[in-house]
Amino acid sequence: MHIQYIHWNAAHGWRGADALREPAQLVLYFGSREQLADGERYRDLRGLYPESHIIGCSTGGQIHGDDICDDEVIAVALRFAHTQVRLVQEVVEARDASRACGARLAHQAQAADLAGLFVLSDGLAVNGGELLAGITEVLGPDLPVTGGLAGDGTRFEQTIVGADAEPSPNRVAAIAFYGASFRFAHGCAGGWDVFGPRRKVTKSEGSVLVELDGEPPLDLYTRYLGAEEAEAMPGSGLAFPLRIHDEAEPDRQIVRSVFAVDRSARTLTFAADIPEGCTAQLMRANFDSLAAGAGEAGRQARSALAEVVAGDKLAILVSCTGRRRVMGQRTQDELDAVAAELGEDFVRIGFYSYGEIAPPAASGRCELHNQTMTVTVIAEAVA
Amino acid sequence: MHRLLARQIRQSTDESGQVDLIKLGELVSAAYEEGDRDRRRTDRAIKLMIEELELTHKRAEQDLRRAREFLDSIIENIPIAVFAKDAKDSRYVLLNRAGEEYYGMPREAMLGKTPQQIFPDHIARVVNEQDRRVVDSGTPMFLEGHLLEIGVKGHDRLVNSRKLLVRDGSGAPQYLVGVIEDVTERITNEARISHLAHHDALTDLPNRSAFNAALGERLERAQEAATSFAVLSLDLDRFKEVNDVFGHPVGDMLMRAAADRLAAEADGAFVARIGGDEFMILMPDGIRHEDVLALAERLVETIGNELKVDDYLPHVGLSVGVAFYPDDGVNAVTLLANADSALYRAKREGRGRVRVFESEMDQELRDRRLLQHDLRQALELNQFLVYFQPQARVDGEVIGFEALLRWNHPTRGFVPPDQFIPLAEENGLIVEIGEWVLREACREAASWPRPLQVAVNLSPVQFQAGDLERSIHQILLETGLTPTRLEVEITEGVLIGDFTRALNLLRRLKALGIRIAMDDFGTGYSSLSYLQSFPFDKIKIDRSFISNLEATPQSAEIVRAVLSLAHALNIPVIAEGVETEAQRAFLAREACEEMQGYLVGRPDLIERYLHLVGVTVERRLYA
Repeated sequence: MHIQYIHWNAAHGWRGADALREPAQLVLYFGSREQLADGERYRDLRGLYPESHIIGCSTGGQIHGDDICDDEVIAVALRFAHTQVRLVQEVVEARDASRACGARLAHQAQAADLAGLFVLSDGLAVNGGELLAGITEVLGPDLPVTGGLAGDGTRFEQTIVGADAEPSPNRVAAIAFYGASFRFAHGCAGGWDVFGPRRKVTKSEGSVLVELDGEPPLDLYTRYLGAEEAEAMPGSGLAFPLRIHDEAEPDRQIVRSVFAVDRSARTLTFAADIPEGCTAQLMRANFDSLAAGAGEAGRQARSALAEVVAGDKLAILVSCTGRRRVMGQRTQDELDAVAAELGEDFVRIGFYSYGEIAPPAASGRCELHNQTMTVTVIAEAVA
Repeated sequence: MHRLLARQIRQSTDESGQVDLIKLGELVSAAYEEGDRDRRRTDRAIKLMIEELELTHKRAEQDLRRAREFLDSIIENIPIAVFAKDAKDSRYVLLNRAGEEYYGMPREAMLGKTPQQIFPDHIARVVNEQDRRVVDSGTPMFLEGHLLEIGVKGHDRLVNSRKLLVRDGSGAPQYLVGVIEDVTERITNEARISHLAHHDALTDLPNRSAFNAALGERLERAQEAATSFAVLSLDLDRFKEVNDVFGHPVGDMLMRAAADRLAAEADGAFVARIGGDEFMILMPDGIRHEDVLALAERLVETIGNELKVDDYLPHVGLSVGVAFYPDDGVNAVTLLANADSALYRAKREGRGRVRVFESEMDQELRDRRLLQHDLRQALELNQFLVYFQPQARVDGEVIGFEALLRWNHPTRGFVPPDQFIPLAEENGLIVEIGEWVLREACREAASWPRPLQVAVNLSPVQFQAGDLERSIHQILLETGLTPTRLEVEITEGVLIGDFTRALNLLRRLKALGIRIAMDDFGTGYSSLSYLQSFPFDKIKIDRSFISNLEATPQSAEIVRAVLSLAHALNIPVIAEGVETEAQRAFLAREACEEMQGYLVGRPDLIERYLHLVGVTVERRLYA
C-alpha cells in the first residue's frame, strides 16, 4: 500500500508530496463544514483523482501527524496492491430510521471477502447506536467496523458527509475493504474517571434524557458548569460526559456526551439511547488522563497489528470533540501519546468527531462511543 | 521548558525563525485561561460533589435509621422473646417486650449485665455454658420443646430456643442472638390433634386407624418372633334398639359404659372402637386359646349384665368373633375378615355368644357379601318380580291375592326370600324394594275388573325408616286403587322397638281405609297385648301349624285356640299353607274364615290367575 498526503489551505490551495506511481483507488479527506460545504474541495479532488473513490466529512478539527488544524483540509490518497475498495452510502430520512439505514448500508457492502468497514456518518441526524446495530445485524458481530460521526466544531448545527459526491447532510457512507491481504486493526480508549454519586435515569425517551433522579438533567449540568459556562451548552457540556451503567448488561461500559439541549424542557439529547432505569454517573478528566487514554488506544491498535506489512501504514485517528474542548492547547498531548505508542512509521490523519465507532477492547462488538480516542490502522500484508 | 510552552514557541515562530511575541503572548495567555477554567470547573465539581455526597450520606443515614426503627418495632412487637448479648462476656445488649415477659423482669434489670448478675448460679452456669459452646463452635444451638428453666410464666411451659453467633466485619464473634418461642399451646394442640386422630371421641378408646396401626405392628413383631395372638371382633347386640327407644343421649352413655367395661375386663389388651356398635380387641402375645375364650365369655357376661344408664336399664348383649394369628390368617385383612365371619356366625346363632373362626365361615361370609352386592343392583336391573297367591274363603271362593316378592337372579336363578330379604333389611334396601312391591301390587290390583283384595307385606324396617304413610298414600293416588282393597300384613317385629310410633302409624293407615293383618301369628312372642292395643282386621295363622295339623295334635289345639280367641275379639282369621282337602275340611269345621295355600293356588305371575281377577285371556293379550 502506498499513501500520498496532501492538504489545502486558502493561501496555497492543494499541496502534497510523494505522488503515487499508480492511480489511487481511494481518497479520504476531512475539513471543517465551512471549507467543505460548497463542494469546491470535492471538485478539486475529483480533478486530481478522476478515477478514485473519494470520501470525506466535516469535523471538529483535522488531525495530521502531531498537528491539529482548523483552517486546512487534509487528505490521503491510497493505492492498494491487492485490496479492493468500494464506497457504499445511504441517506437517513429520519433519526428513528437509523437502524434500517445501517442495515441497508451493510447489505450493499456485504460480500464473502469483506474484510473491514470504515463508516463516516452524519453526526447529528443519525442515532449512532441504532445505525451500528443495523450494520451489525447484517454483517454479524465479528466483522470489524470503525469510523466516526461527522462534526461541526462546537456548534452542533449541521454535519456533512460526501462519498463520490459533494458532501451533504443526512448522509451515511462507508468504505468497504475486500480481500485477504487487507489488514485492519483498531484501538479505543477514553481516560475519563467517574465522580460524584450514581444517579438513576428516572425518565428518558430514546436518546433524550428527561429526568435524572427526578430532576431535569440540564439543571444538574448548569450546577456543575456554572451559569456562565452553561450558556455554552451543549459544547460546554462535553466536559462532563455520563457513564451509563445498565443492569441488563453490566459489563458494558458506555460513555455518552451531550450534543443537544432543549432549554425549555430542560432535557438533554445524547448521541445514542439512554435506557430508563439504568444508572448514570458524571465523568471528568484532566489533561494527563485524556492523553494517557489516547496512548492506550494507540497501544491497542499497534499490538493488534502484530505482523510485518508491505508498504505504508495508515492510522486514522478519530477523537471526540469533547476531548479537544477540555484539553484546549493541550490537545496535542493526546496526539503525541498516540504517536509514541504507534511509532513513527505510520501516516497519521484523522478528525475530531461527534462520536467514535470501534469495537471496545472488552466486548469486541462494534459500538458507538463518545469521549474516546479511536485509532484505526489500515495496511496490507506481505504478499 | 514545559512541553506546551515549547509548542507555543514553535507555533509562534515563522519560517525565518523569528518569534512573534504577540502571538506567543496570546497563546500563553489562552493557556492560562484554559488552565484557570479547568481549575475552576474542577473546584466547582469537587465542591458540588462534596455537597451531593453529604446529602446522599444524610439520606442514606435517614434510610438506615428508618430501616432500623422498622426492624426495632418488629422485634419489639413479635410475640417471641428475642435477646442479644455481647459474644465476649454474655452481657445483654438487647431484649424485646416478649423477652421481658419471658424473664419476668424489665429490660433495665438485664441490659448491660451478665447472666451471673441476673440469674441464680445454677441457671447462670447453664446459660454461660450454652453461650460459650455457640461462640467457640460458631454453630447455632437449637433446643426444641424443652422445659423452661427460668422466668415467671411457670415451669410447665415448653419452649423452642435457639442461639446463634453474629460476627463483626473482621469475622470475630460480636453478638449472640437468641430467640425463645413458647410452644406449649402448639405442642398441647398437636398432642390433642394426634389423640383425636387416633381415638374415638365418644369412648376415648383407640379408633379404627389406631387399631389398624397396632395390628400392623403386632403382625410384624409376631412374624419375627413367631408368636401367636388373637383378634376379637365384638358387636353390641340390640344397641340400635336402645338408641331408637331411649334416644341417642342414653345410647351414648350406654356406649361409654360398655366401652369402660370392655376396657376394664380386657385389661392389658388393645381395645378399640371401630365404628357404631363395633369393637376390636387385640390380645397380648402368647395367650392360650382357652384363656382368650374365657376372656371373651367374661366380656359377653359383663356386657350382658344390666347396664344402668341414667335412670334407664337398657338391656344389650355382646357377640364376639375370634380369630387367631397365625392359624386363621397371617395378614391384617384376612385376620379381620375371619374375626368378622366368626362374629357374624355368633350373631346369627342367636347373639350373646362367642364364636371362634372356622374355615367354612369364611366362604359363608363371602357368599353373603356377594349376594348383598347383587342385591344392590337387582332393582335397577329389573330382576325382581311380584308373584300373586290367591286367598279364598274356606268354601273356595277367591277373595283376593297376597303379593309376594321374588328375585330372579340371572345366574343364581330364584333366590329364596328368606335369604335375601334379611339382607335387604340389614342394608336398608328393603325400604326401596318394599315401595316397589307395593306400587306393583297396587297397580296390578287396580287393573283387575273384579274388586279383589290385595295383601302386601311390610317390613319392620319400612316402619322405622322413611315416611311410610306418605309413600303408601302416594302409591294409592298414583295407581288409583281404592284403599279398602289394600291389606298390609305386618309381623310383630313392627311393634317391637318403638311401639308407640308403630301403633300411631298403623292407626293412620287404618284411617286411610287400609286393612291391617297380623302375619305369622303363633310364632315369636305372639303377645296378646298387641291384639288388645290395635284393632287388626285379620289374623294370619302361621303355615307351620297348618302343615302339622295331621301330624301333631298340639297344632290342631293351637289353631283352635287362636280361632276362638280371634272370634271372641271379632277378628277374622286366614290360615296359611293349606295344601290338602283334609286341612281345608278341618278349618271349615272350626269356622276359620279364609285360607291360602297350594290347595287354592301357588304363588305365580298374575297371568296365571287372569280368569280369577275377571280378565279374559284374549282381552289381556290384545288390549
